[in-house]
Amino acid sequence: MKERNFYKYITPLLLMLILFYLFPIVEVFRYSLTNIRLDKEIYSYGVSAYQYVLSNPNFWEMLKITIIFVFSSMFLQLFFGLIIATLIDEGERRNLKGTLVVRLIVLMAWVIPGVIIGVIWNLFLSEANYGILNYFIQLVFNTKISFLSSQDLALYSVIIANVWRGTAFSMIILYGGLKQISEELYEAASIDGASTLDKFFKITIPQLKPVIFINMVLITIYTFNTFDMIMALTGGGPGRSTEVISLNIYNTVFGHLELGRGSVLAVILFFINLSITLFYYNFVISEE
Amino acid sequence: MVRDRLKDYILYLSYLIIAVLFLFPLLWTLSISLKEISEIFSYPPKLLPATFKLDNYTQIINNSKILTFIYNSIKISFFTVVGTLAVTIPGAFAFSRFRFKFKKPILFGLLIFQMMSPLIIAIPLYNYFNMIGLLDTHLGIILVYVAIQIPFTTWLLKGSIDSVPASIDDAARIDGCSNFQLLTRVLIPIILPGISTAIIFNAIQSWAQFIIPFILLDNLNLFPVSLGIYNYQASGEAITIHLTAAASIFATIPTIIMFIVLQRFIVSALTAGAVKG
Repeated sequence: MKERNFYKYITPLLLMLILFYLFPIVEVFRYSLTNIRLDKEIYSYGVSAYQYVLSNPNFWEMLKITIIFVFSSMFLQLFFGLIIATLIDEGERRNLKGTLVVRLIVLMAWVIPGVIIGVIWNLFLSEANYGILNYFIQLVFNTKISFLSSQDLALYSVIIANVWRGTAFSMIILYGGLKQISEELYEAASIDGASTLDKFFKITIPQLKPVIFINMVLITIYTFNTFDMIMALTGGGPGRSTEVISLNIYNTVFGHLELGRGSVLAVILFFINLSITLFYYNFVISEE
Repeated sequence: MVRDRLKDYILYLSYLIIAVLFLFPLLWTLSISLKEISEIFSYPPKLLPATFKLDNYTQIINNSKILTFIYNSIKISFFTVVGTLAVTIPGAFAFSRFRFKFKKPILFGLLIFQMMSPLIIAIPLYNYFNMIGLLDTHLGIILVYVAIQIPFTTWLLKGSIDSVPASIDDAARIDGCSNFQLLTRVLIPIILPGISTAIIFNAIQSWAQFIIPFILLDNLNLFPVSLGIYNYQASGEAITIHLTAAASIFATIPTIIMFIVLQRFIVSALTAGAVKG
């Protein structure tokens, strides 16, 4: 093969990667080592941005909120995804009708743009007259729940909406995993007299371990990066109770105009993304 | 036999519960979109609209820019798909068929870029686009959209080309094909399913993209539909609830239609991911 020729195939790709990834990433690191602001031309180098961010109690609170959001979402999505995938798989084994429809309905929540999901849940959880969920709660418990206006509850509301959105992804991947498990394992267990629960915990779950693992890693990364849904649902509020790291970055850079400090946060997010990716790469991809 | 039937009924019941849980918020928004303002704020709220009026829809079509937003989204998605394929098809070909230095690091880089939040690159790009006049332009955001689609699409297409045996390449070369002809006349037709999958995912993700236009666009006329809906909601007055609901449904319909038509592709692509990771 003529080595010279192939450069023209790879150059546009490399150019895009350099211009739109490498260069910006280097720049974000550079900004983080300055006191640059969006409205000032002049800036100087130093670690003041890092000092400010890391010594700010708001930062650690935000990190806590982000971690609660990510790991709650992940566990719940995995849990419900597994339940639904199992129910659908079982239904298919019994030739029940409607399994395809259920799969589609769950998956539909995943293809709706995140912003719109935020808008939909904003309408759904409202305490106003059109807040249908609160209407039912009022009927049964004679009180309304401040899903979105209480600093204590807002984060949970955001988690629920996120789980609603993301369960389909887990469900489909786990469903694929379930389909891969060989029937013979189950038959052998039946012969040995194993109950349904036995089979589930001793065959299904161990066989699904790699898939569950991939799932966990992917969900974690996607959830850390969530911006659109939360922006539309709560905007980070009330107060800063739902201001996860991506919203914090946005507010710092475009609200407070603190480009340097926002870049520090962006660097932190980058390292979070990077470490999870490395984890993923080491344990999953290099197995091939 | 009876026990089996009982299990069947339990399963059906669970399906019903799941369907209700996943459909209800969406259907409620649909219900709001079909009601008059007075009906929306009346208490107790009714599940079904008293009359199925499309007034809200006609209002947003006539009085707002929703059609512009949808047109923008279609336009942006279209050029993003074209741009992405133009860059990644040759790139995937190179990764699959040629040996060169730095291949592994670049592929690893692609993985990191794919997992990174777009927010990280949007911030410096905001500054630089501002300097070179690409801020608040469709060209600017299309370039960024393409960049965002490149990692995933390259992996996907590389995988497609990898699964074409080298013997096909050899046969083509014996027939006198150059590299370019090998790619365009032989490989591309074979990997059309992979290309279709790429197109679908690119289109869906571009349609849903929010952060990038949120940061890089200011002119209302350039907004894609994701930004337009957010704008409706953020207008602050309670009076726009019915319009926000209608706009949300209106914006979701293309996604849902595309989804129902293409769901088999989407499901198989995702389940294949479960096998290969």
